[in-house]
Amino acid sequence: MLTTAPHLYIRRPSPTTAEFTVTTCPPLTLPLRLALACVHAARLSLLLAIILLLYGRWTASPSFLGAEHIRALGSPVSLLLAGDFPSLVLSVLQLLHASAAGQVCARAATHLLPSWWGLAVLAGALLYATRALGRIHTTESLLVLRGLGIQTASSYSSYNANATGSSSGSSGGSCVVGGGGGRWWGRIFGGGGAGGNAKETRFIPTEKIQDVLINEAFRGFEVRYYLVVVVEGEEELVVVFPRLLPRRRIVEAVWRGVRGCLYEPDSSGVAAAGGGMGIGIGGGDVKSVDEKR
Amino acid sequence: MAPTYNIAMVSDFFFPQPGGVESHIYQLSTKLMDRGHKVIIITHAYEGRTGVRYLTNGLKVYHVPFLVIYRSASFPTVFSFFPIFRNIVLRERIDIVHGHASLSSMCHEAILHARTMGLRTVFTDHSLFGFADAASILTNKLLKFTLSDVDHVICVSHTCKENTVLRASLDPLMVSVIPNAVVAENFRPLYNPAETSSSATHSFGQNPPPARQLGPHDMITIVVISRLFYNKGTDLLTAAIPRILENHPNTRFIIAGSGPKSIDLEQMIEQNVLQDRVEMLGPVRHEEVRDVMVRGHIYLHPSLTEAFGTVIVEAASCGLYVVCTQVGGIPEVLPSHMTVFAKPEEDDLVAATGKAIAALRANKVRTELFHEQVKTMYSWTNVAIRTERVYNGISGAISEGEFYGYDAANAASWSATRGRSGVQSFALIDRLKRYYGCGIWAGKLFCLCVIVDYLIFLFLELWFPREKIDICPDWPRKTIDNRKEMGKDGLR
Repeated sequence: MLTTAPHLYIRRPSPTTAEFTVTTCPPLTLPLRLALACVHAARLSLLLAIILLLYGRWTASPSFLGAEHIRALGSPVSLLLAGDFPSLVLSVLQLLHASAAGQVCARAATHLLPSWWGLAVLAGALLYATRALGRIHTTESLLVLRGLGIQTASSYSSYNANATGSSSGSSGGSCVVGGGGGRWWGRIFGGGGAGGNAKETRFIPTEKIQDVLINEAFRGFEVRYYLVVVVEGEEELVVVFPRLLPRRRIVEAVWRGVRGCLYEPDSSGVAAAGGGMGIGIGGGDVKSVDEKR
Repeated sequence: MAPTYNIAMVSDFFFPQPGGVESHIYQLSTKLMDRGHKVIIITHAYEGRTGVRYLTNGLKVYHVPFLVIYRSASFPTVFSFFPIFRNIVLRERIDIVHGHASLSSMCHEAILHARTMGLRTVFTDHSLFGFADAASILTNKLLKFTLSDVDHVICVSHTCKENTVLRASLDPLMVSVIPNAVVAENFRPLYNPAETSSSATHSFGQNPPPARQLGPHDMITIVVISRLFYNKGTDLLTAAIPRILENHPNTRFIIAGSGPKSIDLEQMIEQNVLQDRVEMLGPVRHEEVRDVMVRGHIYLHPSLTEAFGTVIVEAASCGLYVVCTQVGGIPEVLPSHMTVFAKPEEDDLVAATGKAIAALRANKVRTELFHEQVKTMYSWTNVAIRTERVYNGISGAISEGEFYGYDAANAASWSATRGRSGVQSFALIDRLKRYYGCGIWAGKLFCLCVIVDYLIFLFLELWFPREKIDICPDWPRKTIDNRKEMGKDGLR
């Protein structure tokens, strides 16, 4: 429901530039926005629960400073104004801990999982679940600049696409609800370990590009079409859209677009084969080729 | 307008590995493509040759990654090939699956799966097998399994047909004989090195090449080109060479090819001190074979078993007088004036070679005419036309009466045949009936396999739905004037 089959957006800000974005993110309708907001709320509450669990366990341990001591630090607002951030965090946590949800978490931490070991496993599992929730959409793009080269980009989290990929423009950016929150979220989770936070980008200059072509290969139990860039002096081909591997319709559309945009049209025939040349002249309009299922 | 088909040739054996089956598949596919069909080849991955490849004439080859066990035959896993085979068949929109070579497990599996998917199947047998030893019995049982439910079988010679019919208990009506062919242009004799377009216009025999006169003391060269294996009769050759050279001064041997028996040949040369009269060339590439052949006058082929023997046709095309053993399909291959036959034993082989040398010295054999004669006898276009007729027959484009040549009076026996050949029905129950008759235990085992295969098919239809598989774009098809071609090759 939250994702679709990979579909293609073509963006042509100028006749010599084209960006092909393949994404599993469907067009953002109100129900979808609401659903995404729910997913993000769930992520947030999961993360809070983890923190409260850990904090609750700490309050039960002998090393705890004592609730009175923390309350004596002052109100969160005054601490914020004073700029004392460690104390601020402590006092906010204590406030949350005192709330009903915080008490439930604390009881769970002390009674259900008395050992640190069990708590660490649970916290790790919850953290993983939060990450998995975040990995909803995969967006991969190919930016073609005549005379300069090709840039491939691949990201598999809508947050991350927003955090680093402002160049993704209308399609990449519009995927994200509550974009501002996404940035630090993404950073925290990226720091959490599993990697993949940064969008994988690769730029190939024109003089290094020997050819752009569609190939076929065995993958699992099937034969797939894929778009490759043959780079001079490299053994391996560079696969465009390596995660999504869109179907032939999309791959062909992108291939025609790239051929039309990357090389100077030396005759009318080439320009026609380029397919998308006419679109670019309007400047910055978005054409979407939805995949028929 | 004749119907055209999408054909998948399936075999474990294909280029870059050299061999008779490999070149047969390639030549047949090329000529079928010339006749407007779409042909793809499915084989397993070779060293340095993997994935999906196009050959220069647009022939598409799928090198499916598979485990290879023995002499490039893949490991028989019965079902594991099905998902990828189905994917290829659907994306290429295949109508007919044509398997080659009875030792190729891939081909057998493909035929089984193709029938499960409701496709027409053809099987070409390229080799002869015994009935006695354990390996043969096992292979024959396997063959019986796949051929229980195949639409048509093609054999390369009448001997091969007899052999296959007995091995797989087939109805002879559903077995056709279509011999191999040679590309005669690649096997020109030495005195006619370049056949230009101008000379081709009057190459109808009005202008025969001059006879080659051999003096009584001229050197006669005997050529042997074969893989040096037991079944190619290398032991016979090892025994015969010293005797032939002893009996006939002014003769010498050129032996090309490699294999486990080459060490025996070398020992024989050492023992009899024949280094100056026997030349061992080692392995030669297929395109170099002609250059070796034209150095000789006689081609000696001591094979113990041979379904067709393409190499003796190539030798005759090069203008060599052929001495060969009378085994398998060899007697069918060449007319008697080109060959001297021997029984597959030492004495007779020596005697036959002596006869051939005597005939050449007496200038009784017009070897210079062989090339033109072979060229009119064997052409791949002809093979393709006859194969196309088989395709037409099994897919119902020509009537059964015309295809199988039965008459109404014979219809009673025919209906039994039809049930056996399975031309009409893809229904699972009919297929099971055919398999059940294979043997007391084997029949039940085969039925089980077929049922499992069918279940896998249903599962695949659910798991990998057809509409999710991309269709390959076709090359523009060649068109051909059918009647003109038929007339040119002298076919009905």
